[in-house]
Amino acid sequence: MKLPPQQVAVLEAASADDPTDIATLAEQLDEKPETVTGAAFALEEAGLLEVLETEIAEVSLTAEGREYADGGLPEVRLYRAAHSLGAADAPVPMGEVIQEADLAGPQVDIALSNFARKGYGDIENGQLSVAADVDPDQDDEAAALASLADGAGVEEESLLDSLERRDLIEREERTHRAVQLTEDGVTELMAGVEATEAVDRLTPEMLTRGEWREASFADYNVAADAAEPTPGKVHILRQAAERVKEVLVGMGFEEMEGPHIDADFWINDCLFMPQDHPARTHWDRFAMSAPEKIDELPADLVGRVESAHREGVGEDSDGYHSPWDVEFAKELALRGHTTSLSARYLSGEQIGELEPPRRFFSVEKAYRNDTLDATHLLEFFQIEGWVMAEDLTVRDLMGTFTEFYSHFGITDLRFKPTYNPYTEPSFELFGRHPETGELIEIGNSGIFRPEMLDPLGVEADVMAWGLALERLLMLMTGFEDIRDVHGTLVDLDFLRTVEVEY
Amino acid sequence: MPVVDVHPDELRRLTGHEEKSDDELKDDLFSLGIEYEGETEDGEMQLEFEADRLDRLSISGIARSLRYQYGDVRGVYVPDTNDPDWTIEVEDVPEQRPYVTGAIVRGLDLEERDLEAIIQLQEKLHATMGRKRAKGAIGVHDLTMLKGAPAREGESNSIRYTGVDPDGDTFVPLDSDAEMTPAEVLEAHPIGENYAPLVADYDSYPAIYDDIGLFSFPPVINGKRTEVTTGSRDLLIEMTGTDQWTIDKMLTIVCYALDARGGQVESVEVAYPDGTVVRPDLAVETKTLAHERIERTLGIDLEEDEVVDLAERSGLDATPATQDGRPVYDVDVPPYRVDVLHPVDLVDDIGRAYGFNELVPRYPDVSTVGARTDASRHEEAVRNLLVGLGFEDLLNFNLTNETELFDRMGLAPEDEALGAEAPPTIIEPYSEDYTVVRTWALPSLLTVLENNTHRAYPQDLAEIGLAAHVDESTETNVAERRTVAGVLARHDASYEDAKGRLQALARNFGASLETPSTTHPSFIEGRTAEVILDGDPVGVIGEVNPSVLVEHDLEVPVAAFEFRLDALR
Repeated sequence: MKLPPQQVAVLEAASADDPTDIATLAEQLDEKPETVTGAAFALEEAGLLEVLETEIAEVSLTAEGREYADGGLPEVRLYRAAHSLGAADAPVPMGEVIQEADLAGPQVDIALSNFARKGYGDIENGQLSVAADVDPDQDDEAAALASLADGAGVEEESLLDSLERRDLIEREERTHRAVQLTEDGVTELMAGVEATEAVDRLTPEMLTRGEWREASFADYNVAADAAEPTPGKVHILRQAAERVKEVLVGMGFEEMEGPHIDADFWINDCLFMPQDHPARTHWDRFAMSAPEKIDELPADLVGRVESAHREGVGEDSDGYHSPWDVEFAKELALRGHTTSLSARYLSGEQIGELEPPRRFFSVEKAYRNDTLDATHLLEFFQIEGWVMAEDLTVRDLMGTFTEFYSHFGITDLRFKPTYNPYTEPSFELFGRHPETGELIEIGNSGIFRPEMLDPLGVEADVMAWGLALERLLMLMTGFEDIRDVHGTLVDLDFLRTVEVEY
Repeated sequence: MPVVDVHPDELRRLTGHEEKSDDELKDDLFSLGIEYEGETEDGEMQLEFEADRLDRLSISGIARSLRYQYGDVRGVYVPDTNDPDWTIEVEDVPEQRPYVTGAIVRGLDLEERDLEAIIQLQEKLHATMGRKRAKGAIGVHDLTMLKGAPAREGESNSIRYTGVDPDGDTFVPLDSDAEMTPAEVLEAHPIGENYAPLVADYDSYPAIYDDIGLFSFPPVINGKRTEVTTGSRDLLIEMTGTDQWTIDKMLTIVCYALDARGGQVESVEVAYPDGTVVRPDLAVETKTLAHERIERTLGIDLEEDEVVDLAERSGLDATPATQDGRPVYDVDVPPYRVDVLHPVDLVDDIGRAYGFNELVPRYPDVSTVGARTDASRHEEAVRNLLVGLGFEDLLNFNLTNETELFDRMGLAPEDEALGAEAPPTIIEPYSEDYTVVRTWALPSLLTVLENNTHRAYPQDLAEIGLAAHVDESTETNVAERRTVAGVLARHDASYEDAKGRLQALARNFGASLETPSTTHPSFIEGRTAEVILDGDPVGVIGEVNPSVLVEHDLEVPVAAFEFRLDALR
């Protein structure tokens, strides 16, 4: 019969009279033990060999155990030191004994607790006395350690248990395997067993010449780890952005684009933010020193926006009691929110007049002039979305956000009334954390005010919301420090191994 | 957002709800939109709330809102005001700060805690409506320490709001024992130093006089003579500012707070050269609110009496009426409500009283077609190809500094080379590390390499992101573009590695690629080429100059490229 070469070798090396253990066979055949074991099981399957298994408990010393086997158990050293200082007669200060025993660090505690446990003596008020009738040379644990260090065994289970508790030994259950020829095996050997040619790799030549038909493929250890390639991978935050975009497009939203550096007019004035609003002082804005101002603003729109700020819009509308200057409106800044894009689109200046209904979104960077911390960077991705339609109600706003967040596993939305200069009513959105179940803030929303929409020439209702993408990602993944993810301090190993979001 | 410290015992006392536990109070406050932030050392609750309801900047204002919420009080409340006995004469005031207002509150019995609450309210109003005292500043004085000159024969007392030369007079400011001129206060008094910038460009300084002399230097500091103590029973409150409405509203909020502490408000005449007004102005404003607007915004049907009830529970009064045949409400708004700019703000009040979380969400029955922009789909396609070529996609900050952009790349802004352009620059950056918008992206990738020298090579990194430079030909004077940058860092990285990948990018996007030799200070001469896609010069490719590598502590060669993303469209 024909068998793979390793199996032939094992069959030939095995004996019908006595079991031969796998380790011996492996050494004899110059093969790895796993290879021999594999071959042996294959032969057992074929009924040619019997694999005899016995469970063996193996005991090995830990590094600490080996140290004590060589240098003595700390409590024994403590006893001897104390004894040599005369502690059998009168108590000796503990510090002196520890120094004499040359104990340091955690060994001191180990020595003291076992000293007490084994009844080597008493420790009282920092004084150590030893019991005269103790013979540390007879210490069972020390003897067991020495025996194990010599390669001999220890029979007493309780002793092994106590050494294991002290982390001085490790016990492992191992299966010992040996093989013995069956009668069929003997018969086949007598009849003659040939080795098939084992092939390591399939080659193009073998395929074209047909040699593969005769080949026997050497078994691989298919369970073993292999060298791992580093994949090129889309950045985790970009993955999250793509996911958000996909959900929004699915919900009928169109994407917006526009300048990162823009006039304050688009960033703030069009949003009915008074010019003396605290958020518009230079401390919070990323105002530009070069260049300083936008060239042109649409004159009609500027007039309407100024009028809304000063006098409000329509009946019973007051406007602000704040200064308004077109030169301030022209000043450039890195946008503090991508709502500047919404203002541009709603005004009709970006892609022409919009007829309701329309939905728009962007997932783009916004900037904040503040200190960096674990949840805030100077630049972050803002998810911005709005719906323009006739007769939108607060309930439609709630329904839209409930739908959006459900795609990210965030349910049980709460709406906390809040204040934004450009929306009324306004809501902070709270949702349950998918992992912790905590109620956490997940966005800000509202219905744009008439003082914002009127000057922009929008007659329909517009509801809008904003959210930091980073916050959503942290919720989805449990990241705790956004600085690990975004920016030049990123750890490549993190990017290479972080789980993919989809 | 403002934070006010409030003692829970006092809140219980002022609301008349001694039975409320701290936790119950916190829940009740949360539904008003006031969040419990923590506790002070003295056991006071730190309450944070939105900057619209400035009438809640004092504990008495918060208590008032709670009492409306509990239904203990309903409708508009306006304190009784006694007729004026005092006049503020306005003459020769600094033109930058022409407005003044004032009120008197009598019969107060102030404990230390009340004083602290008044000071806190004053500070919070300064920080918010007062725009750090620039727009409005409050002075509170012990009235009994003032000696009024008779304004008109036999009629009333008067004080004077006027201007004074920086060194034109002296007084003893608060927290001091020395007579000082206003100019000396700005130089030598800690509070004076703090607020000196507010009056820096004033020729004459704001000053308030009584018959004895100068007693207040707004917006900087009061005089010591009129300092309020626990013994003070009658107070004069004066406010100066740049906007009459703003200081009148600040005054209203203070008057309501002192009224709640048992004070009797008394009017003051403010005599401007062109006419006299009586303050505080506690007039109730009326806005017309259409029934339809409420239902259309909240998405629910409401009965008329429900609306009236909800309004009253918000401290408003609503009277049903009709306008052009449609049902409306004439809604009275108390004078402390500085946030009501438009009828929509009243809808919000009614929604809060109804309970927004009582509303049932519904997905709007509105059909639209969603789409990405072409640029965004294109960017994603290029990113996917880069990843397919084995690049790790990176995401760096658009903000950086000139050292990273230029010096560490061996580049000077005036060079004729990619990246050597004037970067858009921030006026007052928080951090020296982030002062400009990047003109190119390769410096960011080299910094990532620098920070990851302990990680396994090869390190093939790419980024598609923003780059910008000052360009007067554009609308915003900034040219923003999407840039594609890639680096190949490995022990045998060569020009060819980068070029091969660039070819693959060009071919897959149907662009013709030429790479004529060029020079760039960041690259090795003779191994640098211009990237020309479809005939346009759009970038650079080459082996990074060893001096740049050493600057970034790199011990492996790096081949790199960068070009405009839209060249692949």
